[in-house]
Amino acid sequence: MTRKIELYGRLRDAGFGASLTVDIPPSATCREALASLKPVLRQQLHGCVLASNDEILSPGDKLPSGRLALLPPVCGG
Amino acid sequence: MIIVTKSRLDPAALDRAVTSRKHGAVASFVGTVRSPHAGRVVTAVSYDCFAPLAEKELARIKSAAERRWPVTVAVAHRTGRLKVGEASVAIAAGSGHRAEAFEACRFVIEEIKHRLPVWKKEHYAKGEGRWLPGCALRRRK
Repeated sequence: MTRKIELYGRLRDAGFGASLTVDIPPSATCREALASLKPVLRQQLHGCVLASNDEILSPGDKLPSGRLALLPPVCGG
Repeated sequence: MIIVTKSRLDPAALDRAVTSRKHGAVASFVGTVRSPHAGRVVTAVSYDCFAPLAEKELARIKSAAERRWPVTVAVAHRTGRLKVGEASVAIAAGSGHRAEAFEACRFVIEEIKHRLPVWKKEHYAKGEGRWLPGCALRRRK
C-alpha cells in the first residue's frame, strides 16, 4: 500500500519537497514505517516522529488512515 | 483564544481576551525575530508549521495552564516568513493575582518551545539559510 508522508522543517530541504510516498503494509506500525524511511532519509530521520492531525504517534501504534506527517525536532516560539 | 496564523499578530487583542473584572493581573509575553543570532546577521525567519496538530497542541497547553493555575490564557503563533522585529508568538494570562499570571505565561512559552510542531529557518545577510536545531517530540499522556 502506498502512503503519502508529509515533511516539515529541515526535512523539506531533504530533496523530496513537501512529501514523499512509501510502500507500507496497511497493518504496519509506526516503527515499521520509520524503518522503511530509513534507507531514504538516512541520518535526516534522526529525532523524527510520525504524527496524525491529532497527536504524536508512538512506535507501536498502527498507522492511522488520515494524514500522516514526519516531524523533526521542533523549535517554535 | 487560540490562533495559528500567517497574519501579523495582535498581542493587545490577546490581552483584551483575558481581561476581566475578576482579574487583578494580566501578564503578557511576546517573542520576536532577532538579529544578530549566533554571530550572524539575520534578515528574516521562516516559520514552518503542521497546523492541524499545532492548533490542538496549543489548546492542550492552554488547558494545562488553566488547570494548574486560576488563570485564563490566550495564545497565538505566527507562521510564514517574518522580518526582524516581527512578533512570532504572543501569550496573555489573566488572573486574580500577578504570581500565577507570570507563572502561567512562562509555562506556556516553555511548553511551546518543547512540543509545538513548529520549525524555524533563519535567513542571513550572507550565506545559506539554516533550520535551527530543536527538541525531539514524544507522545504525552
